[in-house]
Amino acid sequence: MTSLISLSNVKPNPTVSLNAREVRPAATSLYVGVKAMGGGGGGAKFKGTQMREKKLAEMIESKVVEATEACGGDNKDSDGCRVAWDEVEEISQAKAHLRQKLEREEDPLESFCQGHPYTDECLVNYD
Amino acid sequence: MAVCTVYTVQSLNSTCSISTPNKTHLGFQQKQVVFYTSSKKSNKRGGGGITCAAADSQTIVIGLAADSGCGKSTFMRRLTSVFGGAAEPPKGGNPDSNTLISDTTTVICLDDYHSLDRTGRKEKGVTALDPRANDFDLMYEQVKAIKDGIAVQKPIYNHVSGLLDPPELIKPPKILVIEGLHPMYDKRVRDLLDFSIYLDISNEVKFAWKIQRDMAERGHSLESIKASIEARKPDFDAYIGIILLPHSLTRCIDVRLLFDHNLPVYPQKQYADAVIEVLPTQLIPDDNEGKVLRVKLIMKEGVKFFNPVYLFDEGSTISWIPCGRKLTCSYPGIKFAYGPDAYFSNEVSVLEMDGQFDRLDELIYVESHLSNISTKFYGEVTQQMLKHADFPGSNNGTGLFQTIVGLKIRDLYEQLTASRAAGSLQATKA
Repeated sequence: MTSLISLSNVKPNPTVSLNAREVRPAATSLYVGVKAMGGGGGGAKFKGTQMREKKLAEMIESKVVEATEACGGDNKDSDGCRVAWDEVEEISQAKAHLRQKLEREEDPLESFCQGHPYTDECLVNYD
Repeated sequence: MAVCTVYTVQSLNSTCSISTPNKTHLGFQQKQVVFYTSSKKSNKRGGGGITCAAADSQTIVIGLAADSGCGKSTFMRRLTSVFGGAAEPPKGGNPDSNTLISDTTTVICLDDYHSLDRTGRKEKGVTALDPRANDFDLMYEQVKAIKDGIAVQKPIYNHVSGLLDPPELIKPPKILVIEGLHPMYDKRVRDLLDFSIYLDISNEVKFAWKIQRDMAERGHSLESIKASIEARKPDFDAYIGIILLPHSLTRCIDVRLLFDHNLPVYPQKQYADAVIEVLPTQLIPDDNEGKVLRVKLIMKEGVKFFNPVYLFDEGSTISWIPCGRKLTCSYPGIKFAYGPDAYFSNEVSVLEMDGQFDRLDELIYVESHLSNISTKFYGEVTQQMLKHADFPGSNNGTGLFQTIVGLKIRDLYEQLTASRAAGSLQATKA
């Protein structure tokens, strides 16, 4: 798919920069055909997707710590230990799904943002 | 079969009955009504455009079972590609929807039938693998309704928030795929399936795949990946995968109950019409890298409209190394095997591929020696594999067998539709 406008300056990094100038394209049609580009082929285009990426990444970190703690001592065979690692798996898979979609340049919010271009989630970040 | 009556959600979990429609879900704060609508009602509610499928175009239901991170979505992409057109999320709906829709096919994720959300599972101490975290009554009712041509409002399990989101409308497609951990667990749901597939990933390969998937994530390490697989294994073995291991008895009261009553414990995969088993290679001694794979396609005999694939001579036992004078393969080579076998108590045909393709001529050479692959033209398997060369497993048996199963499902769909059309024509004449 060819891009209507170049977005080579879109940050592939999920971290939302505080200095980033947030821009809403004037017309909804600008969203059509625009794919986020960035190093390594694809990145989150919409603020909502970047937030999801960030949230999942942070959750993996904290849930691994939580699970390691839940399984400490004599708790290796406890319900709490099993459930905690199951949560880690669920979130790791969700993160991997999102990453694979972004590698294919399919922002999961694409369709949503065509219908709701003026929502906070659908902001496109430019540096 | 007796196992199913004992194994229903209600009998296992008296504190959590989420069976009938229009009842409040337990396990999450927000009150959620699950609509179970006929097309008439939905039209009044402004759902719009819901069609009742005609009797001769009844929805065909396919079940796909596998653990998370074991290739279900890659398989779904291959399957929908065989039918033509890419599958996409519902237009304008919840961005966290798990559903995929193409012209012919709708794929729904059975996680949407979680009766307990993330917090609920934590409180009750059950994993998502546990049947008590899933609402099989609603799953059955909704899959049945879709099969009968009625649109439903299916809940959405949000994998980011861990909560159940407001439901989305699912209209009856030509082909409905239900994918997840438990498509063959409940007998009522299982009986609705026209065809079922189980992706059986060995522990060694699962470990290798999850390292690939997670190692780059902050917080993950070899230890955490290993710990997660090991901690989930008892529940996986008990409810999804293989026959119970004794140590899991101490953890699962419901399963123990079955043993107390001398009831046999059946894993889901014995019900599958096709199983794709993924194992470490035998071509490289002591290989545990998980890069080269040995993949088995186990096909049940006697399934209506499904004729197992065979190599050279149907029903014989054959070992074939396609590399030699006619075809040169690079190390470690490719090895095929085919033959009749028994799988649980079923008669099956097994096709096995060990190794990987390096070049197109290897793939087309192999395709030309396989029979009953339900292609519409010479080289269709190779064409599909090439089209999706960037998908995981495109150079080995996982991609090959997923593609073949996709073609077999297309064939099954066409035969089923034709037989229904013929049936209704006869009924009209009479």
